[in-house]
Amino acid sequence: MRILAFFFIVFSLLSFVAAQLILKRAMELSATLGFRNSRYVSLAAIGIALMTVSFFLTLGLLQRFDLSYLYPFQGLSVIFITLTAAVVLKEKLSLRLIVGAVLISTGIVLVSMS
Amino acid sequence: MRDRPRRFGNPWLQLSLSVVCVLVSEFLLKRGATEVAEPDTAISWTGINGLASPLVWWAILLIIASFISWLYVLRYIPLTVAYPLSRIVDVLVPLGCWIFLGELITTLRWCGIALVIIGLALVAKPVAQIEQRL
Repeated sequence: MRILAFFFIVFSLLSFVAAQLILKRAMELSATLGFRNSRYVSLAAIGIALMTVSFFLTLGLLQRFDLSYLYPFQGLSVIFITLTAAVVLKEKLSLRLIVGAVLISTGIVLVSMS
Repeated sequence: MRDRPRRFGNPWLQLSLSVVCVLVSEFLLKRGATEVAEPDTAISWTGINGLASPLVWWAILLIIASFISWLYVLRYIPLTVAYPLSRIVDVLVPLGCWIFLGELITTLRWCGIALVIIGLALVAKPVAQIEQRL
């Protein structure tokens, strides 16, 4: 049960992170190629689909676990998105941004723990 | 950062709008869900019975609005900056619960809120400097 729950938590987190990255790429494309471009449409569709998957997985998890148990994992999304955006999207990352992201994540975990 | 529209099209304004929409929708969802709560029934586990509350529908509209402004934000602001800043909502929700719903905030929770605010300031400061130079 625990392993299954962990799998679903990780899967919903990963699909959320992937959705954000893909939507970001799609919106960048739209700025240069416009909204009628087929690459934009397919990327936006994949992003929205992943967002939906993550939404329903979270809804299912919420029915089985307390929000205070699940919320810290959402807090971790700040670190994940900051790092993956730097690696995958080649965004500039400074020490300041990393420290900021770690503090925000830690803060969210603390807020939901109490 | 490339040229971008001013006023309503300003991505920072849209980022704040997106955050405000999420914030208000959370409170509407909480109100709406409590209004129609029937914890004894099995169907209520799916949350679908929440749709009976008009407040939940307003919340859904706001969530869609926040998603649209978020997409607009993504067009102009790097994810490494926009996403951490958007999590200011994790501070505003407990603060709003404290102010409007009279919910309690423990010491540990205050510490968490403080950490998030320091983190947000770290992420936001270089951005504010870039904006000033423009």
